[in-house]
Amino acid sequence: MMKKWSIEKIFWLFLMVFSIVIVLFPIYIMFKYSISDRTSWITGGKYPIPWWPFDPNFEMYSYYLSDGRFWSSAWFSLKIAFLTIIISMGLGAPAAYALARFKFWGIGLVLFLILSVRMFPDVSSVLPVAQFFNLDIIYNIPITLKVAMGHTLLGLPYIILIAIGVFQTIPIDLEEQAQVMGATKFYAFTRIILPVALPGLAAGAIYVFLLSWNEFVFSYFITATSTADVIPLPVYLKTLLGAFSPNPVSIATLSLLVSLPVIIFTFIVQKYMIAGATAGAVK
Amino acid sequence: MGLSEKNEEKRSFVNKIKKNSFLLLTLIPGFLYILAFFLIIVFFILQMSLTTYVGGMVETSPTLQNFVDLTSSEEFKDAFSRTFVFVIISTPLQLITGLVTAIIVNKSFKGRGIVRSIFLLPLAIPTIVTTATLLLLFSKGGHVTSLLMGDYSWFPAIVDYEISFLNNETLAIGLSILGKVWRDTPISMLILLAGLQSIDESQYEAAKTMGANSVRQFMYITIPLLIPAISSVLVLRSIEAWKEFIFPYILAPSYPILGVLIEKYFVQLNNPGMAAAIGVILIFLIVIFTVFLNWLLKKVNELLVRV
Repeated sequence: MMKKWSIEKIFWLFLMVFSIVIVLFPIYIMFKYSISDRTSWITGGKYPIPWWPFDPNFEMYSYYLSDGRFWSSAWFSLKIAFLTIIISMGLGAPAAYALARFKFWGIGLVLFLILSVRMFPDVSSVLPVAQFFNLDIIYNIPITLKVAMGHTLLGLPYIILIAIGVFQTIPIDLEEQAQVMGATKFYAFTRIILPVALPGLAAGAIYVFLLSWNEFVFSYFITATSTADVIPLPVYLKTLLGAFSPNPVSIATLSLLVSLPVIIFTFIVQKYMIAGATAGAVK
Repeated sequence: MGLSEKNEEKRSFVNKIKKNSFLLLTLIPGFLYILAFFLIIVFFILQMSLTTYVGGMVETSPTLQNFVDLTSSEEFKDAFSRTFVFVIISTPLQLITGLVTAIIVNKSFKGRGIVRSIFLLPLAIPTIVTTATLLLLFSKGGHVTSLLMGDYSWFPAIVDYEISFLNNETLAIGLSILGKVWRDTPISMLILLAGLQSIDESQYEAAKTMGANSVRQFMYITIPLLIPAISSVLVLRSIEAWKEFIFPYILAPSYPILGVLIEKYFVQLNNPGMAAAIGVILIFLIVIFTVFLNWLLKKVNELLVRV
């Protein structure tokens, strides 16, 4: 009996180590390539590419960090992401508040409609959206806003879902007390409910940031079908992949530079989520 | 009598609206945004799919020509079967990898939190970066081909020629499936983990006292109780697999699935009509497949309950 148990234990331990290796291996490969010197990736077929570069260096990082095209793409991506946060929070948080507080018969239908927009495949729904943005009357709105509006379409349903959960955890007594003391509903919402909901909403905002920062399909289709001088970072990375002979070092370095904010923000979301879960509002 | 009741109802409805006017006002902007885009998507995709374009310019509208062309298009048939294979293989694979990782994380051991964070890592990495990594690993002269040719002394040579992963249909689609499964396993893991955690521990204890070994416990307790979680993984993940674009777009551009074919027509061939027609068909395929899968899962569930 004892022996059997330990075989099972070894089996699961092996599976766990195997899974961890599978998950971490691509990240290691990216890092390895990004610090490779020339002889570690141009081998001329004489020797296989080494698993650790002969002469590790950070040259490609300093190249990108002083490259104007990289920064203009990064700045473009950042603007899109923040605009997406502003639009989707501005529309989503109030709507979620209404859905969390207002009990009416059509609420299921409203929620269904809000989520149903995400049931279309991105690659199908981006076509009409890109076509719509190319209509004469709205052709001239800034490309940043167009892409951000596309991303808002993707993020808004999630923001509403996340924020409904956040508002439902806030006791209704809190705003009723404020109204008894003479506060208007608007005042109660902006000055009392929003601050309490902030940690949870921040998690939602970061979620939308990640979504926008990583998004490829909408960014690519909308910028490809209109006149855009700069392209978002993921699309920029794609142009490197499509080159005739892609340079692995610059692909790997750019990949890590794009991933870095995401990994940091994921860490922050975890912190906010814990804060949101533990913060008690009514004493 | 009836009239006054109706009036009463009407008045209470108006009162309700008045009382909740602030809530209504807060709901409307967000709702309208989504509704507007919903209508834009439905209207324009139908309009585009019913229009033929030449060089990006409208030729005839409305016409079913795009759909007629697609029925006789070999390219479309190939793309459809590739997409189908992609869904049929990647969905069960994600279920298995998700289940294995969920069971690992569900065990209690030291460092469980760290292992869970590691397992969630693929979600934190942009999809385009994951494709880039696979491209580097599997392209000509990359690590994997060198490994298989026996260039590294610690690994036996398996083939004696350089395999071109990206120029072979089976391998290229397989590579996209690999990427998709790697990237999306955490989502399946989270759904299955929630299912595992809701299973009552006492059921295992009871089974143990009756002498059931862990394989039997897994087959007769874990799996049946996980059926709802497994069903939702299969449904949600298969929908995502139908929608897939980026992995095959980068890793198998010469062997397009439906999503990649849409990009080809829309961006490269400047033929929005054909692209939209494929887009409409893709939406219908997802709906039909999902309804069928739900029906199938219901049947399987009934069968299991009877036994």
